[in-house]
This record gives sequence, structure tokens and C-alpha cells, in this order.
Amino acid sequence: MRPHPPPAKQHRKVHRYSSTLALVALMTLLGVSLSSSTAIAAAPSLTIVSPADGAVIANGTPVLVDFRVSNFVFVQPGRVGQVGSPNEGHANVFLDAQYVRLLTTVEPFSLSLTSGAHTVRIQLVTDNGTPLNPDVSASVRVVATHGPGGGIPRIQILSPTPLEATGHGIYVSYRIENFTLVEPRGQPNEPNEGQVQLLVLSHVVMEVTQYEPVLLVSLPEGDIDIAVRLVNNDNTALLNPEASSTVSIHVIASSSVSLPLVSNGGIALLLAFILVVLILRRRKLAARDANARGGNP
Amino acid sequence: MNARILALIVAIVGMLVASGIPASNGRSAPLPSLSIISPTPNEVIGNGTPVAIVFAVMNFNLTEPGNATSSPNSGHVDVFVDDTLIAQTSVNTIVLPLPSGPHTIRLRLVTDNGSALNPDVNASVPVMVTRGPTGGTPGLSIVFPQEGALLGTDWTLSFRVTNFVLVPPGGPAGVPNEGHIVVRLDSASYAVLTDGAPLHLNLKDGPHTVTLQLVDNAGGPLSSNVTVSLHVTVHALLGRVTPFDATPYLALANLLIGLGILAAIYRKLEVQ
Repeated sequence: MRPHPPPAKQHRKVHRYSSTLALVALMTLLGVSLSSSTAIAAAPSLTIVSPADGAVIANGTPVLVDFRVSNFVFVQPGRVGQVGSPNEGHANVFLDAQYVRLLTTVEPFSLSLTSGAHTVRIQLVTDNGTPLNPDVSASVRVVATHGPGGGIPRIQILSPTPLEATGHGIYVSYRIENFTLVEPRGQPNEPNEGQVQLLVLSHVVMEVTQYEPVLLVSLPEGDIDIAVRLVNNDNTALLNPEASSTVSIHVIASSSVSLPLVSNGGIALLLAFILVVLILRRRKLAARDANARGGNP
Repeated sequence: MNARILALIVAIVGMLVASGIPASNGRSAPLPSLSIISPTPNEVIGNGTPVAIVFAVMNFNLTEPGNATSSPNSGHVDVFVDDTLIAQTSVNTIVLPLPSGPHTIRLRLVTDNGSALNPDVNASVPVMVTRGPTGGTPGLSIVFPQEGALLGTDWTLSFRVTNFVLVPPGGPAGVPNEGHIVVRLDSASYAVLTDGAPLHLNLKDGPHTVTLQLVDNAGGPLSSNVTVSLHVTVHALLGRVTPFDATPYLALANLLIGLGILAAIYRKLEVQ
């Protein structure tokens, strides 16, 4: 039989085993830790929930942008003693490449838009403002208009009514649906916004942005057509579908125009009557004188 | 034993260093700073849109006004427009609707109780706000009538403006792409137009020249003069249908009849 080793030697052996065991456990924990840290460090992501790409932002309202972020913590930049981390920072917002917002919370925000096509881009950045690597950003294209978001634009003449007899100046009133009138400033064409043109005998005589009745003057006499139509910001008529309305009217001379004729004719009649009376009276007197001479030769 | 004590001392010193206590006692903390990222200096904010001011702070904790204890390294931002305090913010973006004209936006870091930091930390940026577009060349054209037209006494001039916004006169000078229209009739001032509504004219017979000119808020011409002129001829009763105008014949008849009456009266007096 082999003799048992001394207690001190046995203790050193146990200690070596336990050290090995501890080392193995440590390595295992380290491995688990490394693997789990790899899972936690999933790449940050950013998604714009609304508006949808290509959405029409109608009625001149601001656009409300809602977005979601994962694997990224929003913090206020520039804090005292701040130590940056790859998955921590804030977001920059660009409207058509113009820097318009610095976001430190994941909350919806609104942007005022002028009429036209725009691109909203959100970009995640680290605390010191540098983009993440790889870049994490999302963008959405929208079209802003002062007009309504849907519906077919229409215009209809309410007055004058068809075949109405009018003077040389008349008010034209009309009703507009699904279209908003805006001052033309050279802005691009956008859905359901623009101006109204008034036409007389197919010629444009006026371009307005008012919903109130419009005064047309110096209309030519006779049977004429008056039309109104909706046009885009660049002065082109809406074609698909066409938005116009036409009415035929009869323009007649006003009484003030014929007044000289009437007055001259009236005076001529009166003078003629006086002349006739005078001639008749003269004849009557002449006849009486003749009779008097015949009775008293 | 001595080695253990030494290790303990080293560990304590290391913990202190790590906790930053010596740093806070030994040297001062970095000073807060403030910078305006957007808008950029002298940027033109067009179309009357609100101004989005984006700023960055360093070594400063932004806190809701009145919701924190005052400390030299925390607080909020006072926002001044043309030296008037108009807002307080604790977020890095503030949106301000501003009237047309040049403005100076100034931001200032303050502690929670509203007192300025020592030394004062602020940043400012000059901007130009306009209701007109930020770019493009202003243009003006006449839609109706056409050059050389023959018109009746009453007529309406319709025009179109591009890259320019019409506003009432009297606004701040030097604002790009906004102003009004000066109308001259036969070289004399006739009207000022502040919107796109057509101009109604009532003119006497004959040739006339109407000139429209874009001017700035102060009434001066734009840097590149924008003027359009129209020559028309006015003829009263144009468009009136008069198949046979008997007025001159009736007038002649009146004259002859009047002479006849005079002759008849004379003869009558002669007879008597």
C-alpha cells in the first residue's frame, strides 16, 4: 500500500484543484459575459413611423413626425462629466438638408412646411455629435400643400345664370370645392392649390385668389361666354380632371348709353309739335282774315 | 503585514482617484460653454416660417426651470430676441415665430434661479426673417390686358408676381423678397398695391401708359429693378353695339325745326 500523503501536501492539492475550478468558472463567466455583451450591443436602429413616404401634408398644417429607436439611449449632450458610449447620444433632424432639431427624447415632433416637396431626415449621433459608425438615419419624403388632402377640385359659376341679360359690368360669383386659393409667388405646383382665372370670350381677363364675387367690366354687347377655371401655381390650367365652368349671358346697353338718343328725339318731337301748332294757327288766322275780307269788301 | 497595509493604502488612493475627489478639490471643473448650431449667422429665414434655434451646451446640465437646485453647472437657457427675453428652455431646440426684419437671437445659460453664470455664458446669431422666399429672382408680369390693347373706359389690370410677397408698406427696410407694387399712370403716381387683387381703372379716352414696379418695404426699387409697362388706348363705349346712331341727325333736325319755329313766330308777328 502506498502511504497517504501528509496533510499539508493534501491541502496544497485541494487548493490547486479549487484554483483550477475557479479559473474554469471564471473563464466560463467571461465567455458568458462576452457572449451576452455581444447580444446587448446589437446595432442601433431608427425608423420613422409617420408620416408615410410620399404622404401629402394638407391644409398648410405642420407635419407631425413620429419615430422609433432601438438599442440606443437618448441623453442630453454636453452634461457635466459626460462619458460617451457608442449606443448613447441624441438625434439630429434635417429638413431638406437644413438642420432644424436636436432631439434628446424619443417623442413626436412637428415641423412647419412651405408648399412643396420636402425630405425629413433623422440621424442618430453620439454625445459629441459625430454620426454612428455605420451611420444610422432614416428619411421620409412628403408633399406639403395649402389645399385639402383629397377630393376632386371643382369650380362652378353661381351668378350670372345662363342666358341672363346683364349690363356691361357684372359681378361673377363662384363656388370652389377641394381647392385652396393661394397668392402666386412662383412656388411649385402642389395638389389642390392655385388661383382662379376669369375668361371672357375665351380670353383670360383676370386672375384672382379671392372667394368673393369678382367684378367684370366693359363687357362687349351681345351673347358672350364667361368662364372661370382653376389653375396651378405656374398658371397652367388643371387638366386631369379639368376644373372650369362656363355660362352664356346676353349683354345689353344700359339706359345711360341711349339717353342722348332719347333726349334728342324727344326734343325734336316737341319742337316739331310746336312748329305744327304754329303753322296751323297761322293758317287759321290767314283763313279768318280771308273770310273777313270776303264778308266786308 | 507591511505589504498588506501598503496594498490597502494603494487601493484607497486608487479608489479616490477613480472617484474624482482629488480632481474636484485639486483643480476647477471645465467651464460650461454654449454654441448656436442653427441658424447660421445672417441666415435668411423665408416664407414667414418660424425660426428653429438649435444649440449645444458643454459641461452644463439642462434642467427644467424651477425644478432643480441652483448650481453653477446646471440650469436652463434664456432666449432673447433683440435684447428682449422671450422664452426659457431646457431642451436643445426652440422654435420662435418672428416678424419680418433683421433680428439678433441671443441665448444665455442661467442657473435654476435665473441668475447668470460667472463668467457669463451666452451666444448670439443675427438672422433675417422674410415672408418672401429665400431665393429666386423677383418677377412681375401683366396677365391682362395685352400690350397695345384697345379698351373701354372701365377696365381691370390683372398681374402676377413671382418670388416676391406683397405686404403693406411700412415694414422694416432691407428685407429680401417682400414689399409692394407702385403703380404709375402716365408717369404720375396712381396707386400702391399690397396684394394680388386686380386693379380697376377708369380712364378718359386716349392713349395711356401704366407702369408697375416692385419696391421694398421702404418704397425703394429692388437691387435689380423690376418694372413692367403697358401701353393701352381707351375708347369710350367700346364694345357697345349701336347699329344706327341717329343722335347727330336728330340734333340737326332740332336745329332746323327750331329755325322753322322762329320763322313761324316771325311771320305771325308780321301778320299781326
